[in-house]
Amino acid sequence: MNIQYLLKELYYRRRRTLTAVFSLAVGLAILITINALSMAYTEAARIQLKEIGADITVQRAGNVPEELTGPVFACSAVTIKNDEIKQIQQLPGIDGFAQALLLWVFDEDRFTIMLGIDGENPVGPGILRSEVIDGNFFEKGKNQALAEISYARTYNIQTGDQITIAEKIYMVSGIVDASRATKIAAANIYLDINDAQKLAEESKQVQAVSPFGTKDANILFIKANPGHIEALTLSIKNILGEKASIATPASFLKSLGSLFALSDKFSLATSLIALIVTILIVLKTMAGNLAERANEIGVLKAVGWSNKNIVSQLAGESIIQCLMGGMLGLILSFIAASLLGLIQVNIPIPWEMSPTPHFLPGGGDPVFKTLQLPVTISWSLTAFSILLSVVVGAVASALLGNHISQIKPSEVLRNE
Amino acid sequence: MNNILTATGLNKAFDNLQVVKDVSLTIQKGEFVCLVGKSGSGKTTLLSLLSGLEQPTSGEVSINGTSITNSLENDLALFRRKSIGFVFQSFNLIPTLSAWENVALPLFPVKMERGKREERAMELLGQMEIDHRAEHRPSALSGGEKQRVAIARALVNHPEIIFADEPTGNLDSETGGAIMNILKHLHKRKGLSILMVSHDQELAASCDRIIHMKDGEVVS
Repeated sequence: MNIQYLLKELYYRRRRTLTAVFSLAVGLAILITINALSMAYTEAARIQLKEIGADITVQRAGNVPEELTGPVFACSAVTIKNDEIKQIQQLPGIDGFAQALLLWVFDEDRFTIMLGIDGENPVGPGILRSEVIDGNFFEKGKNQALAEISYARTYNIQTGDQITIAEKIYMVSGIVDASRATKIAAANIYLDINDAQKLAEESKQVQAVSPFGTKDANILFIKANPGHIEALTLSIKNILGEKASIATPASFLKSLGSLFALSDKFSLATSLIALIVTILIVLKTMAGNLAERANEIGVLKAVGWSNKNIVSQLAGESIIQCLMGGMLGLILSFIAASLLGLIQVNIPIPWEMSPTPHFLPGGGDPVFKTLQLPVTISWSLTAFSILLSVVVGAVASALLGNHISQIKPSEVLRNE
Repeated sequence: MNNILTATGLNKAFDNLQVVKDVSLTIQKGEFVCLVGKSGSGKTTLLSLLSGLEQPTSGEVSINGTSITNSLENDLALFRRKSIGFVFQSFNLIPTLSAWENVALPLFPVKMERGKREERAMELLGQMEIDHRAEHRPSALSGGEKQRVAIARALVNHPEIIFADEPTGNLDSETGGAIMNILKHLHKRKGLSILMVSHDQELAASCDRIIHMKDGEVVS
């Protein structure tokens, strides 16, 4: 292969070179961008759960309490019995597990959303340990509580204060900013789960709606192997029955309603179409190149170039063009990804996962998590696109070789 | 043996059309032979057969004692690179390459330093008196200059024989005459063997020998 000849062909036949390069670049950019967008929506759908270190949340719907006094269950989260929890924990594919207890506490002077959490557990709302902005995280067995910052502001609660919830006194060990962590696990007061379980067990309203034992809970947070999530969902439904309410990345993705979120098959089909059209355009350009240069190939053969010499020369051109197309495609993709990354998406939180009672002012409003679409181009996509461009170049070269061997110099030179 | 080229019983048919009929001829080393005949008489096809660009339906061609009939295409390409130079009516220069690069074209597949290739090409362009146009591409050259570049290209590999197919056909008479002078000069000064196809009797008259073709046959 003669580099000097190759570069001059690419330079002086700019129109042909640019057609091939841009066709491949645009096709690859579409392919990469669609995949990056699809992955971004998938990632966005995971974020709600990822923020609390989980892949699945589990609740069970129940009845509305008859009286709103003292600790009550939200109708979307009633008792999950301890034996059911143990069955779920033993399911295959679970990498981490946490339980929590959500209670609405109607005291005479205030309403409190209270969440009992396992502060030692990195799965679930225990991650709030890193969101304490004043004081310390509560200690077990010391009747301590964490106050959420906006609630603390409303009731002028400060670290070290004592607060009364359901006639029990707790010392505020610290203030936490739960908004930075998640909306699913947002509450006003966080207690150790054991303290919360005692409150629930002693509450008549809780027991009237759904009998509750000392070790029971009403929200489960599960970290799972992505490949097992679907099977786990089915198994959990089998254990908890029809009233089980299970949130997974897939259920959030469905709630997004975007065309990209609707189906992986859509992005796969679009990518394939883009890929096929791209390859066809490149092959057509190469074929046109061959037809245009039949005379030149005849001359090369006449002056002593072998088929191998000619094929390697044209293959070099083809591969260089495809690599240039691949690189340009990547640049276009990165630009597209940067622009798409400016898009803000609202991820709706299902009402049953919102801890705020719908009968309170603003409680019935849709709850969204707004975030910028996390569009990134992965190394695997980058490597795939480069590999793809080389493959397209190689395929074009292989086809070139076959055509070139059939060109007879005497025929093309006779028809000059 | 003084024959540079020997053809025996050459026939070429395309489907049912017999284009070359039982042609036998020899060309001696250092001989300047002109193949003349009317359009369609089979001159160019015969030239293709004699130079190995085309395989005969039957018969044999040998150049300098080496049979080129039934050789593999790649072997023929190598043989042409080492032993044969071509000059075409339409010059057939590569439009993207400069004059000197076109001259060096047969050397591109040969392992050789770029500087040596350029040196050889420049030497030949100097002999053709167009070395000042070495960096120009064919689109910037006149017809006569293009043909000089093509002749330089034919000479770059020190060929044993040059095949020229109507080398003055696309040139005006004055430029054509100059090109003919170059070929005659190469023949006389360098002792090159040349087989030229032409339909111009006047040009043919200045060759050592004339072979007449009619309807695919050598008639004299």
